[in-house]
Amino acid sequence: MFRLAVLLGLVAFCVAKTPVDHCCSADDRHKVMKQWEGLWHDTESSKVKIAFGRRLLLKVVADHPEAKALFNAVDVEHPEGGKFSAHCMRVMNAFDMIVNLLDDPDALDSALDHLARQHEVREGVKKAYILDLFRTLRVALPKMIDDYDGISWKSCFSGVFAKMTSRLHE
Amino acid sequence: GSRLCVHHLLAVALRLNTERDDTMKTALVLLLAAFVAVASATECDQLTRLKVKGQWQRAYSVGSDREHFGQALWRALFAQAPDARRLFGRVGGDDTNSAKFKAHSSRVLAGFDIAINMLDQPEALEAELAHLKHQHDERNIPMNYYNVFKIALGHVLPAQLGRCYDKEAWKACFDVIANGIHG
Repeated sequence: MFRLAVLLGLVAFCVAKTPVDHCCSADDRHKVMKQWEGLWHDTESSKVKIAFGRRLLLKVVADHPEAKALFNAVDVEHPEGGKFSAHCMRVMNAFDMIVNLLDDPDALDSALDHLARQHEVREGVKKAYILDLFRTLRVALPKMIDDYDGISWKSCFSGVFAKMTSRLHE
Repeated sequence: GSRLCVHHLLAVALRLNTERDDTMKTALVLLLAAFVAVASATECDQLTRLKVKGQWQRAYSVGSDREHFGQALWRALFAQAPDARRLFGRVGGDDTNSAKFKAHSSRVLAGFDIAINMLDQPEALEAELAHLKHQHDERNIPMNYYNVFKIALGHVLPAQLGRCYDKEAWKACFDVIANGIHG
């Protein structure tokens, strides 16, 4: 009974800290890292990464047509081409970097701050675009990961995306 | 030269009958394999690129192993060229254990990871190398630092991969990337 009370107390404590859920526990982090790692075992995984990234970015563009121009420099007109493919890989690798830094909070903070600044200087990038990308990701991941643990992902990534977008307008 | 040799040997090997030439045939096949190995390892051809990709993926690893791999790489680099640290003043280069530098190390390795992974996708490779070149141009990095990076990689990769590390393959394919960034 006492254990249950402690557990409920912890749950209440976690929930109270919204909107940025800080309960990205060691267990949550390791689940996320392991499930993410499981996606990239093959030598050809870069092609999967690119296809995945392409879907995410094109979805953002479809939902926010005005965002399309932001990707002109990376040739969004030819999403299958080399330029846009390389860009998709960059986006996905930034994500990969974040996941792999989850166990080192200080380095993670520094990396997220850098990403936030990189997006801040791109005029026209809105918070909504990146949060939309996050939503799409959360819909896509369970389709690719068999033992997807939605609570762990959400608790780790709501904080990550909040920091990433901290320098952007709504 | 070597390609002609390989064809010639193949022709001889095929002409040998099964009768009593088994030893000879084995020897020829071995010789042939050696020729193929030499011929493909000295240039960054398609098969070598796939090999490098596979070896990189294992060496790059994940999580804290990846962080340690990065740290080993930078230590090997700065040990050879202590003056290279000045290029990393803004990102905590004076202390490779700092959070700032670890984050920077992650970014550099992520960029290198893209280049390696694009080795077998020519169009995307070209775009990525142009992107990296643009990022490096204004920093005026002397060519010998790329060499130092290559030597550092040559130390930490075998430490990760053991016998599986193919030195010649890495030499050839690293140059494709370094020339693309510095070029």
